[in-house]
Amino acid sequence: MTLLLIVLLPLLGTLVPLIGIRAGRTYCAWLTALLPAVALGITLYLAPLVFSGNVPQFFLPWIPQLDLHLALRLDGLSLLFVLLILGIGLLIILYARYYLSEQDSMGRFYAYLMLFMTSMLGIVTSNNLLLLWFFWELTSLSSFLLIGFWSHQSDARKGARMALTVTGAGGLSLLAGFLLLGQIVGTMDLSVVLQSGDQVRSSPYYLYALVLILLGAFTKSAQFPFQFWLPKAMAAPTPVSAYLHSATMVKAGVFLLARMFPVLAGTDLWFYFVALTGLVTLLYGAYFALLKQDLKGVLAFSTISHLGLITMLFGLNSPMAAVAGVFHIINHATFKASLFMAAGIVDHECGTRDIRKLNGLWRYMPYTTALATIAAASMAGVPLLNGFLSKEMFLSESLDAHMLGGLSWLIPALATLGSVLSAAYSLRFIHDVFFNGEPKNLPKKPHEPPRYMRLPIEILILLCIVVGLFPSSTVSGLLNAAVTAVVPAGYEPEIDLAIWHGFNLPLLMSAIALGGGILVYALRHYIYNFHRQFRSQDPNVIFEASTQAIVRVAQQAIDRFENGSLQRYMFWLLLTALGFSAYGLIESPRLSGNLPAQSIDWAVAVGAGMLCLSGLATVFFHRRRLISLIMLSVVGMLVSLAFARFSAPDLALTQLAVEVVTMILLMLALFFLPQKTPKESSGRRIMRDVLLAGAFGGVVASLNYAVLTRPLQSISSFFLENSVPGGGGHNVVNVILVDFRGFDTLGEITVLGIAGLAIFKLLNRLKLFMPSSDMEGRPWSPERFPAILASMAQSLLPLALLVSVFIFLRGHNLPGGGFIAGLVAAATLILLYMARGVEWAQQRLDFQFQPIAVAGVLIATLTGLGSWVFGYPFLTSAFGHFHIPLIGDVELATALLFDLGVYLTVVGATLMILANLGKVTTPHRPSKEKR
Amino acid sequence: MNLTTSHLIALLPLLIVGTTVIVVMLGVAWRRHHVASATVTVIGLNLALLSLLAVLNVTPLEVTPLIVVDKYAVLYMALILVASLACSTLAHAYLEGLDDQREEFYMLLLCATMGGLLLVSSQHLASLFIGLELLSVPIYGMAAYTYRDRTSLEAGIKYMVLSAMASAFLLFGMALLYAEAGTLSFSGLSARMSGGELSSAWTLMGVGMMVIGLGFKLSLAPFHLWTPDVYEGAPAPVSAFLATVSKIAVFAVLLRFFMTAPATGDGWLHTVIAIIAFLSMLVGNLLALTQNNLKRLLGYSSIAHLGYLLTVIVASDGLAIETAGIYLITYVATTLGAFGVVTLVSSPYQGPDAGQLYHYRGLFWRRPYLTAVLTLMMLSLAGIPLTAGFIGKFYALAIGVESSLWWLVAGIVIGSALGLYYYLRVMVTLYLHEPGESRRDATANWGQRSGGVMVLLLALAVLVIGIYPQPIISLVRSATLITAG
Repeated sequence: MTLLLIVLLPLLGTLVPLIGIRAGRTYCAWLTALLPAVALGITLYLAPLVFSGNVPQFFLPWIPQLDLHLALRLDGLSLLFVLLILGIGLLIILYARYYLSEQDSMGRFYAYLMLFMTSMLGIVTSNNLLLLWFFWELTSLSSFLLIGFWSHQSDARKGARMALTVTGAGGLSLLAGFLLLGQIVGTMDLSVVLQSGDQVRSSPYYLYALVLILLGAFTKSAQFPFQFWLPKAMAAPTPVSAYLHSATMVKAGVFLLARMFPVLAGTDLWFYFVALTGLVTLLYGAYFALLKQDLKGVLAFSTISHLGLITMLFGLNSPMAAVAGVFHIINHATFKASLFMAAGIVDHECGTRDIRKLNGLWRYMPYTTALATIAAASMAGVPLLNGFLSKEMFLSESLDAHMLGGLSWLIPALATLGSVLSAAYSLRFIHDVFFNGEPKNLPKKPHEPPRYMRLPIEILILLCIVVGLFPSSTVSGLLNAAVTAVVPAGYEPEIDLAIWHGFNLPLLMSAIALGGGILVYALRHYIYNFHRQFRSQDPNVIFEASTQAIVRVAQQAIDRFENGSLQRYMFWLLLTALGFSAYGLIESPRLSGNLPAQSIDWAVAVGAGMLCLSGLATVFFHRRRLISLIMLSVVGMLVSLAFARFSAPDLALTQLAVEVVTMILLMLALFFLPQKTPKESSGRRIMRDVLLAGAFGGVVASLNYAVLTRPLQSISSFFLENSVPGGGGHNVVNVILVDFRGFDTLGEITVLGIAGLAIFKLLNRLKLFMPSSDMEGRPWSPERFPAILASMAQSLLPLALLVSVFIFLRGHNLPGGGFIAGLVAAATLILLYMARGVEWAQQRLDFQFQPIAVAGVLIATLTGLGSWVFGYPFLTSAFGHFHIPLIGDVELATALLFDLGVYLTVVGATLMILANLGKVTTPHRPSKEKR
Repeated sequence: MNLTTSHLIALLPLLIVGTTVIVVMLGVAWRRHHVASATVTVIGLNLALLSLLAVLNVTPLEVTPLIVVDKYAVLYMALILVASLACSTLAHAYLEGLDDQREEFYMLLLCATMGGLLLVSSQHLASLFIGLELLSVPIYGMAAYTYRDRTSLEAGIKYMVLSAMASAFLLFGMALLYAEAGTLSFSGLSARMSGGELSSAWTLMGVGMMVIGLGFKLSLAPFHLWTPDVYEGAPAPVSAFLATVSKIAVFAVLLRFFMTAPATGDGWLHTVIAIIAFLSMLVGNLLALTQNNLKRLLGYSSIAHLGYLLTVIVASDGLAIETAGIYLITYVATTLGAFGVVTLVSSPYQGPDAGQLYHYRGLFWRRPYLTAVLTLMMLSLAGIPLTAGFIGKFYALAIGVESSLWWLVAGIVIGSALGLYYYLRVMVTLYLHEPGESRRDATANWGQRSGGVMVLLLALAVLVIGIYPQPIISLVRSATLITAG
């Protein structure tokens, strides 16, 4: 429980500054510091327990399904980091009080800072991989808020976004890595995972897990090639840089390396990935730290370099190197944080961070100069300071690396080179800024900062010196505890933190480093000149450029594919589909199946040819709509003929009737549409479309051919066998409609009736303007109802009605039925309406169609209900044969009654819809838009 | 077969929504009244939602060879009903300002909802097709509903033409399958496939054609081209509907199809689907980078999200159903929330929607709570912990890792990183100080209107699911699919 408080108190602390800011800025700072201070107290209280080898733990179930729990642990490594985070965090709170100007919202800043502190503490104390990841993401987010704190600067916004994008992407790959790790081990519980090193290393997924996790660690710790976000993040206020980019956030990556050391380390892969990345980063950062003109830029690159150093130490796969790594984490945090704070003071007091302007500041701020000098000396690895100790351990460990075989000497050599550069940029930081002449054109007159602004630096410097002088009595306990958590049990090295090891090779290397550093610094102008030959390859620029390039590519893709043109979309959709199906065809073994080819039926072939031609003609004449429509009707006609030819007369009749009704509707629509169709397609586009359509037709035809030449089972045999015994009719289609699927039909005619009613009502108030002339300005004939058509329609009416009754009556056994008959009747009536006009027709057909449709539905329903009377289920049909004199044998079925309902509904609904369409026209042009 | 009471109970949601359609329609024919139509719609949807409790007592049940109502179907029915409830409340806020016929909208929305309900419970290619058409056809009208606005009309027409083409592919694929297998039911197909009676080449062709058709509806790359245009042009509630209900239903049936009849086998189609998934993640996220229109951006983001989700189909293992459920729930809550804010800012209707990012510049200083909601939704879309989106993304990654689909895992990671970039851009815009040139704001009392309440509830849901997802997880786990015929 006390363990939970360490994380919980700073979390509560996010609220304190938001409220406390009302009490004034100084009080706000003190109040904010209160809760972390308590947490620090608790940590110190728990520390002896940890030193004695115990690991306090806390467990609270959260989401068991994901194996995500609030599980915390405090082992030596966690303890070390908790102390760093809380200790330096408190100093930063104090420092920020004086750093932030009046305009900055202090409450907001402290709240972000506390949020960040919480997430950082969460990372180091998590005892569950997912919880660790969870806090990991939280650091990315809270650091986004902190880096972008001065949100009015576009620099800050860009830097924050870049930092979040890079670390966020790394975070996601870390999550994938953790998931994989959890799957290998079988649990997300860190205590178990830490014990399962051998299992993990021998797993076939080891490589994937390693790469994914390392990607997470390297992005967070700004390792090459992900280092570019860190210098960009220097747009943050300096306290943030001091905290995040020296002591904590960037350390999360190396913390992860330390944490995963027992699980993942020990293989050659680990060495190659980790140590070599570290080495490259070390050199890269050191070289650029020497060149930067921005004070914080120098520090940022030196941080990258030192992080590379720590990474390399963990990568060397030896317990002693890991100890050195942990030790350097402490040392780096102390001296780098103080250097950042010193840089912040310089920036604050001089108004610039440009090294070319800053010179000779010791005259104005001697005390700060002294502090910064000691910190920089520690960074350079000057003896009697803490930096020296860990750097010497690093050098001696580099001598023990033999992984590169004959090239192993490269590692100590390059390590020394890195140290040389490190000494050089440390010297440059001090000499260029604080000495070396007079300041030039400073925006402000520099002077010493407020007393309490220096205090945090003083404390850190004191630590540097004390640790440097008495290492074994100060940090060895902490280091020991941390090491037991990092190094597998039984391999703990003897930690010897003496300052003096006698004259040996590492000492020589240290000496070379310092001497070489001074030399390099003295010759720095040659390096500048040398560097000037290269075009500046700023990784930020590269990142920005690649972002721009990606955006450009995206924009091009949008222009190319998504320019808003429907034709373009159709083209691509069809093309991909064509690709798919063509590929499928290529993959398939053989086009033709087992069935033998049938002999060609010439009637069908001619019909098919005409169908193709009329289809083509429809498209070809699409700008002349009337012709196109006529061609379309030819298509419909041929389809009905095809049905008739393939022994489906029912379908043929239906299709014919539907075709007529549709044509009438289309004609009506055509009447209202604009008469001109502009030409839109260029010749090239038409060519393209013809090719595409041809290819697609080819593919579809091949598929059809393939299907048709293969045996086919169908469900029709069931209906063919059962229609006479079960439904008493020889017309299978009709029997299906009124008997086997009677319930469906009932539903359908109900829908038809309702739809008809609704359309009738909805069209009630619609008024469309009737054009009075065609596209060429010729007026339409004033004779709206041509006499020939009218008389024909009138004389046709009784005949057609008779035909419809005939078709209806014979429907049960021969082609026909209520549906078709209804359509025939409807089509005839509509013809009359068209020929004579709505008013004329309505005067003579003096009845409403709504009741007819409703009556149809009612009759059908009652027929269905009728079967209940006789004790059968709903819609059971009965049929019998009756002998009537003169006429002969007549079969009557209840289905006929049902069919009557269908007939009436179809007539009623169709006429409700279509007859009223004639009424929507008005010869009066509407007085413009109503609105 | 005979229909019994329990069959009718199982069909209750469909029947209720269907009845509501008729009531609304006849009501409109009798007398137009916007609020009344909206109220009837909402009541109908709520009744349907309540009826699911009764349905749970009879599951799993095969109602006809076409429809099966199991717990899986019930879960997705609930999700669809909730989403369309949200859309109708949003539509109510939106349509208030429309100087035109407003009532038919609800009819269309209900019809489409019914199609969705049918889709998620269909176990037969015929009902799949009917459901899909019933879902899509009303959307044509909905997308073009504010037809005086050219973009809306254009969106409707584009969707109609392309959707018809996709349906043609779907039908053709089904025909091929039928010719090969002689059956259209999922279980029948499955039996034929496992029996090895089918020549795999033609089956794959058929399923491939179907994937094209369904991939279009799911706006997966490379069939996604219509998505941004239609999302941008359609009224915001319709875009929300398209991004949620339509996607849930189609994905649910696709998953049921692939889980019942493992149609892809190990053939090339499996690779093709994996490629489609990867491409969708990449294309959706990359093309979203340049967008300056929030609705388009959400369109691209939905392409990417469906790509993540498609990992489930590629993996098709035990965790698939759970992952799909969780992901869809989180995605739907988030997307509805995001489109909800867009709707509120564009409500009541006053010309084209406020989609441009500059409309949202500095929104925080004018409508802080609404901005907070939008920020939350953006975070959730980006998959940040403590929001619902994280849970979904977690599952997607987990299933990718579990099934060793490294390319897709890489796709999710890269895609999410890109996503972070453009979601952040939106967020930063919201908090900028300088106000935009043209101001479109939600009405001052948005929080007390039904649409506003809905958005706040969604925000709450996103948070709760993010922090305490157990109930959702156990709910989804209980929603099992019956695979036996």
